[in-house]
Amino acid sequence: MVDQAQKEFRTRDLLYSIALWFLSWLIPDPQLHYRREYKFKKRDLFYLSAVLVFPLIWPDPHIHHLMVLAGIHGILALGLTLFLGYAGQISLGQAAFFGVGAYTTAVLTTRYGLPSFLAFWASAIMAAIFALLIGKPLLKLKGYFLALATLGFGEIFLVLVRENASLTGGVIGIFNIPFFSFAGFTFDTYLKQYYLIWGVLTGLVLFSKNLVRSKMGRACLAVASSEEGASALGIDVAWIKLGVFTVGAAFAGLAGSLFASVMSTANPETFSLNLSVLIVMMVVLGGMGNLYGPIAGAIFLTVLIDRLSRYQEYSLPLYGVILILLLIFFPDGIGTRLRVRLIYLISYFGRKKRREKVNL
Amino acid sequence: MEAFISSTLFFLTNDPDEETIQLKTMELFAPLPQLFTSGITFGAIYALVGLGFVTIAKASQMINFAQGEFVMLGGMLTFFLFKEIQLPYLLSAFLTIPLVMLIGCLLHLLVIYPLRKASLPILLMATLGASLFLSSASALLFGTLPKALPPFINRPPIDIGPISISLQSLWVVGATCLVLLFLYLLSHRTLLGKAMEASSTDPLGADLSGISRHLMIFIAFGVSAGMGSLAGIFITPIFYVSYHSGTLIGLKGFIAAILGGWGKHSGAILGGFVLGVVESLSVAFMPSGYKDAIAFVVLLLILYLKPKGILGSPFIDSRRW
Repeated sequence: MVDQAQKEFRTRDLLYSIALWFLSWLIPDPQLHYRREYKFKKRDLFYLSAVLVFPLIWPDPHIHHLMVLAGIHGILALGLTLFLGYAGQISLGQAAFFGVGAYTTAVLTTRYGLPSFLAFWASAIMAAIFALLIGKPLLKLKGYFLALATLGFGEIFLVLVRENASLTGGVIGIFNIPFFSFAGFTFDTYLKQYYLIWGVLTGLVLFSKNLVRSKMGRACLAVASSEEGASALGIDVAWIKLGVFTVGAAFAGLAGSLFASVMSTANPETFSLNLSVLIVMMVVLGGMGNLYGPIAGAIFLTVLIDRLSRYQEYSLPLYGVILILLLIFFPDGIGTRLRVRLIYLISYFGRKKRREKVNL
Repeated sequence: MEAFISSTLFFLTNDPDEETIQLKTMELFAPLPQLFTSGITFGAIYALVGLGFVTIAKASQMINFAQGEFVMLGGMLTFFLFKEIQLPYLLSAFLTIPLVMLIGCLLHLLVIYPLRKASLPILLMATLGASLFLSSASALLFGTLPKALPPFINRPPIDIGPISISLQSLWVVGATCLVLLFLYLLSHRTLLGKAMEASSTDPLGADLSGISRHLMIFIAFGVSAGMGSLAGIFITPIFYVSYHSGTLIGLKGFIAAILGGWGKHSGAILGGFVLGVVESLSVAFMPSGYKDAIAFVVLLLILYLKPKGILGSPFIDSRRW
């Protein structure tokens, strides 16, 4: 009886599946990485066109500036999600690599007059070198201790920046960093910067998509689920962790370089612990183990902070409360929980009708 | 560092007259005893904060990154009660401790308990979010200006030879000893302490023998908040306490607890004193701006060379890390 009812085809099932299909365009699927091979799908096209069209249909400079910031945060969160979401390690030192990138660009362009395009790549390489040097000893640690050790690296970086005033400008920082320019084209308005940042972000998303599906990406997932199991399968756990950490740091270095050339300043207040916490929060709220989630989380949190800043001194306590509530009610990411809820709601009506039929 | 290098260079370049060298070394080492005593004071504070971390770790193996905020709240609330409401000093201090314990218990009820099944990054983020909330809310309630209380007993510092010891630092060291005694009695002489320890070392076993693990963690949060507030009350006469000073003190207390041996009361005490003395002696050899980095350098060294800490740790290499 039950089997018969389930096999029976009804036209209204099409309606539910159309809704689910539309949903699958909009909300990323966290289980994608073990379900099927990646192909360039309609959803990617949808996101790409949304990114391209967005500033044209909403021509507000403030929003453009906000989205520039969100894009930079998105690059940072994308770098961290490879480490936190895929390899399952936690790092609170991402802001330090961001700072390394920003200061590399600032020093190279203002002191040595290097073109910003070269400084852009130099910052990524510099951040990667830093990550290799400190990752080698630190990545033996796990859990809370890894978090604390990376946090310690961030604090040491801040102290070094503050004290070496001859190189980094101390507490005041470096000003008048030239805008990013490539082949004679200067990115000096918010709209141009928007396309610069989101163009870089698109490239990095494509890179990460390939990385996640490569041998290294699959090894990362194995390391995240069990380190002993992964090493029993012949995966060099220490090397994989170090590699992912370095890639994440290089992403942060790129983001830092873009930040320095977009904002034209670099000062140590920007790269404090608060930024690291914010980045981890973006990854956690976006949902760990998928690539679009952290970017959505970055946009969400950047806009949230901007909206909260109008409440002046109440903004920080409100921000803390909202973060805790989000963590309590959406512990595996807003997108993931929302998707599950929506699927449940949509299929609920279908199941209800079917149940009544069977009971009769 | 630059000052140190330049002073060494000064030795090398100038004529190596023995008397001058002796004089220079005298100048370099003259403030060391004084720095050592102030290091002991700092160390006692780090030890108090580290004991708070250990108390929670003994009950649940989790780390509460909002621990430093309890210290800040202890100082701020005492200042508020003493200066704004104009209660007597002793009464406001004694009122602060239960208030902060209440905040600690509320933190467990509202943040940690709903997340009891969450994974590590989420728990970490939640405690960091709580820390952000507590510090910014106290900035809102008590103002952003740094605050200082008068010392407990207004007497000039005691001079012993070249060093002078302020009475307040004696108070701090005494309080650390008292708290250590209290914790020793709690964990070795009472059933409650044993139940707390059981719930962290073997959660399933604790459940089977009828121990309510969440109640134990709840009590541990209360106790550690009380200890944090005690540290805050004792240090506010020595340093200025402002709304954002909690984070750094909390982190240094945590480093002290790891340095001595994570999960041991004696480890937190030893680590606190070692960290305080090292940090304060470093001022003699380096520009004081680097002082905050010393603790983290010590942390990285200890985690790399001897993750179990000086006295060894019962928790490391167990299930969660």
